[in-house]
Amino acid sequence: MAFMLKLPFVDVVSDGSLKHTYVNGKKLGYEFQIRLSNYRGHYLSCLKELSIKVDDEAVNPDDIAFCLRDKEFTIKQLPSLVSEFWNLIEPATIKVYLPDSLKDGAHEIEVTMQLRIPYMATPGSKHSHDYATLDSSGHKVLTI
Amino acid sequence: MGNIKLGVSLYSFTDEYVKGKLSLEDCIRTAAEYGADGFELVGTQMLSSYPYVTDRVLSEFKTMTNAYGIDFVSYGANTDRGVRSDRDLTEEEMLQSAIIDVKTAGKLGCKVMRAQYLLSPSALAKLAPYAESYGVKVGIEIHNPETPTSPIMQSYLEVIEQSGSKFIGFTPDFGCFATRPNKPHWDSALQNGAPLELLEMAAQLRYEGVPREEGRQRLLDAGANGAVMGAFQGMYGFVTFYKEPDLEGLKKIMPYVVHFHGKFHYLDEKLEEASIPYKDILPIIAESDFDGYIMAEYEDHISGRALEMTERFLRMEQKLLSK
Repeated sequence: MAFMLKLPFVDVVSDGSLKHTYVNGKKLGYEFQIRLSNYRGHYLSCLKELSIKVDDEAVNPDDIAFCLRDKEFTIKQLPSLVSEFWNLIEPATIKVYLPDSLKDGAHEIEVTMQLRIPYMATPGSKHSHDYATLDSSGHKVLTI
Repeated sequence: MGNIKLGVSLYSFTDEYVKGKLSLEDCIRTAAEYGADGFELVGTQMLSSYPYVTDRVLSEFKTMTNAYGIDFVSYGANTDRGVRSDRDLTEEEMLQSAIIDVKTAGKLGCKVMRAQYLLSPSALAKLAPYAESYGVKVGIEIHNPETPTSPIMQSYLEVIEQSGSKFIGFTPDFGCFATRPNKPHWDSALQNGAPLELLEMAAQLRYEGVPREEGRQRLLDAGANGAVMGAFQGMYGFVTFYKEPDLEGLKKIMPYVVHFHGKFHYLDEKLEEASIPYKDILPIIAESDFDGYIMAEYEDHISGRALEMTERFLRMEQKLLSK
């Protein structure tokens, strides 16, 4: 069984951050901000899982872009990003491609985010590359 | 006689920093206000250009240290062996990564750097010439449940002695000399429904050195619930404690100590730490030739008491060292 830690310092889904993404004057999706709830930052390669549900419906990972500062990554790129560092106090923006976007109003945003803790071997494990997991998941109702 | 300087690890203010209640500048100013001559920060936590230092970040630090009259003394490095998704880093790769950390520490003007024990003894030996070139002394952290004379630390001691370098050594965390159970863990176990007599039984098992598995079974047989077992895990792990802490071991490694982490979890109004016997530890350092820093390192972040406790800790040090 996986050894899991949760450090609930901050809300993972940031208040008031949900908005439509406009391209050429048209709604082409929506975006919101997330935080890493931990005591230190991590390289993006340590993100073992990042998935999104909106109003109980899973979002296709291929429609998700993970944006940090001026860069934008696909979910499938994350495991290989060993030199892109996510600072502890810096929000990342999640952009979801959805023509016409969400309906205006309240939506339940659910983020499942699990990280490999790259210096903390699973206690008692005799295997290589077997690390404890940080659960930085969260959910919140945001209004668009 | 030694020359002990008092510092604060900004890691003490984790909760306030993550929540945005204190900015990096607020953390530095607060450390100076409490009387610290220097500070440490953890690169992965507070260095915005991690793992490098940009000129802009460097000049921001210089402005802050000048303004508040405090030195940036120590850089806390991490050893992220599992950074890749497919395999562990090799020893050579971890060495290369530690060299980047040494360069960063040097550029920041830090005289010392904390390294974690996933950096092997032989990698530490290979790091020595770089540490020397960049003018940064690297200390391997001795963190609970390790002690100065535990086998892993003895293997570091061997390579440190063999190297003859003054630029590699130890950073003992005083948590490894704890003599009583961790108070915040104890209190939270009680709050979560742990019966007092079973917590006391767990502590007694630890004091008597009963092996972990046997202790676990005896507690379960006595009807221990999850809250008791959670506290028991800590007692045999990162917050273990001993009847007789390894102070003799500390005396032996004193010549190789780079700096200390002054761990604390709770100080009462009389300035006594609940589980770590500072009145026994500090005189050993004061009587040695140690010339360097004790970095106050608070660790009960979620309590929201970091500021009050850190202020108390500095006062405790000043009192015990007659500063």
